[in-house]
Amino acid sequence: MPTHLEQDLQAISAKIYQMADLAIESIRDSVDSLKNQDARLAENVIRRDSELDKLEIIIDEECIRLLVTRQPAAADLRLILTITKTNTDLERIGDLSTNIAKETLDSLGKPLLKPLVDIPRMGDLTITMIKMAFRAITEKNADLARECIAIDRQVDEINMQIYRELFSYMAENPATLSPSLGLIMVAKALERIGDHATNIAERAVYYIEGEDIRHQE
Amino acid sequence: MRPFVPVEHRTNDFGGYRTMDTATGVERKIEAKGLSFYYGNKQALSNINLSIQPNSVMALIGPSGCGKSTFLRSINRMNDIIPNIRIDGDIRLDNSSIYGPAFDVTDLRRRVGMVFQKSNPFPKSIYENIAYGLRINGVRDRFEIEKTVEDSLKKTALWDEVKDRLHDSAMGLSGGQQQRLCIARTIAIQPEVILMDEPASALDPISTQKIEDLIQDLKTMYTIVIVTHNMQQAARVSDYTAFFYMGELIEVNRTNIIFTKPNREMTENYITGKFG
Repeated sequence: MPTHLEQDLQAISAKIYQMADLAIESIRDSVDSLKNQDARLAENVIRRDSELDKLEIIIDEECIRLLVTRQPAAADLRLILTITKTNTDLERIGDLSTNIAKETLDSLGKPLLKPLVDIPRMGDLTITMIKMAFRAITEKNADLARECIAIDRQVDEINMQIYRELFSYMAENPATLSPSLGLIMVAKALERIGDHATNIAERAVYYIEGEDIRHQE
Repeated sequence: MRPFVPVEHRTNDFGGYRTMDTATGVERKIEAKGLSFYYGNKQALSNINLSIQPNSVMALIGPSGCGKSTFLRSINRMNDIIPNIRIDGDIRLDNSSIYGPAFDVTDLRRRVGMVFQKSNPFPKSIYENIAYGLRINGVRDRFEIEKTVEDSLKKTALWDEVKDRLHDSAMGLSGGQQQRLCIARTIAIQPEVILMDEPASALDPISTQKIEDLIQDLKTMYTIVIVTHNMQQAARVSDYTAFFYMGELIEVNRTNIIFTKPNREMTENYITGKFG
C-alpha cells in the first residue's frame, strides 16, 4: 500500500501532467488558429491560459505543503523540486501560446503573407519535446530527456531561418513589415516554448539522476 | 575552519573500496578498520570501515538495532563494561589503536567525551558539575577552575541563563539546560571528540534547536559523532552521514548527497520512509 507521501506525490504528479496536456493543447490550438485563421481556437487558448495560471498556484501550494509537512528526501525531494520548476515552465508556455493566439486575432481578415509551413513544424517539434520530457519522467529515462534537449537545436534553426526569410520580405517590400513582424513574434514565441521544454527535460534528468545538467554548453 | 578533506572508505559487501572524493592529504581523526562487534553470539557490527575527519560532524543514522549506538560506544570503549562482548578489527584515534595494549582507557575517555540521550547531571551544583571533572583530572588552581567553568558555560550558551545561580542544584535546571550542562561538563576537560547519542530526542523544539546550534559551534573545536533517529536533524547538523543497517555500514557520504542523491537504494528507501 502506498504511503501518504506517495499518495500525495501521485496526486501532485497527476496535476502537473494535466497542466502539460493543457499546455500542449494551447500550443497546437494557437498555431492552428493562426494557420487556419480560426478565431474560436484562438479564444480557446486565451481562456485556457487562466486554467494554467490557476493550476500553477494550486501545484505550488501543494508542493510547499509537502515540503513543510513531509520533509521529503532523495528522489521524493527531487520530484517535488522538478514539479515546482516545471510548473513555472508550463505556465510560461501558456502565456507564449496566448501571445500567438492574440496575433491570430490581430491578423484576422488580413491575407497571410504566405502559407505557413515552418511555424507549424516548430509547433509540432515543441509538442514532441514536451511529450518526450514527460515520458522521460514517467519512465525514469534520462536518455529520452537528453534526446528531447537535442531537438531544441532544430527549433532554434527553424526560428533563424524564418527570421532570415521574413527579413528579406521586409527589405524588398515595406508593405510586408507588419505581417512579417507578427510572424517573427510567433516564431520567437515558439522558440521560447522550445527553451521551456528544454528546461523541463533538464529537470527530468535532475529528477532521474540527481545531476544538474543546466548551462553546460 | 579547516577545508574539506576527502575521505576514502570501504564498504564491506557493497562494492569494495569506494572513494568519496580524490584521496589527497586525507586527515582522519577517527578511523574504524574492519570493526566487527559481538554481544555473545550475536553479531552487532560487521566489518565496519569508516573514517571521520577532524572538526566535522558525522551523523550515524539507521533503524533501531542497526548498530549505530554500538559503533558510537565503541569509539570510547563504553562497551567494555558489558560482559561477553568480542571485538574484531580496530578503531584508531589519531592513528593509534584505541584497543591496543598501550592505550590508556581513562585517557581515551578524557579525549573522547560522551553526551547521552537522557541528560545525567551529577546531583550537585551547576558549578560542581563542571568543576568535578577538572579536579579529578588534577586541576587544583581555583581560578583556573572558575575560568573553565565560565568558559564552558559560555561555549554552551548557558552562562547567561545560570550565572546568577551557579551554586544551585543542577537538578533544578530544565531538561534542555541539563543537556547543555552535560555538554559543558564534557568540553570542560578539553576533549578532542564528542560522541552524542540522541542528544536532543527528549527535548522540546527550542531546546533541540539550541543543541543543534551548539553542535555547529562546537565542531570548529571538536570532532563530533552523533547518533540520531531524526533524519532532519542529521541533515541540519552534520557534514557527513553514515547509514547503518543490520550491523553493516551501507553508505557514507557528504550529508547533502545522502539526502538528495544517495547511491544505494537501501539508503534511499530508509530516508524516504519506504523501508520494510
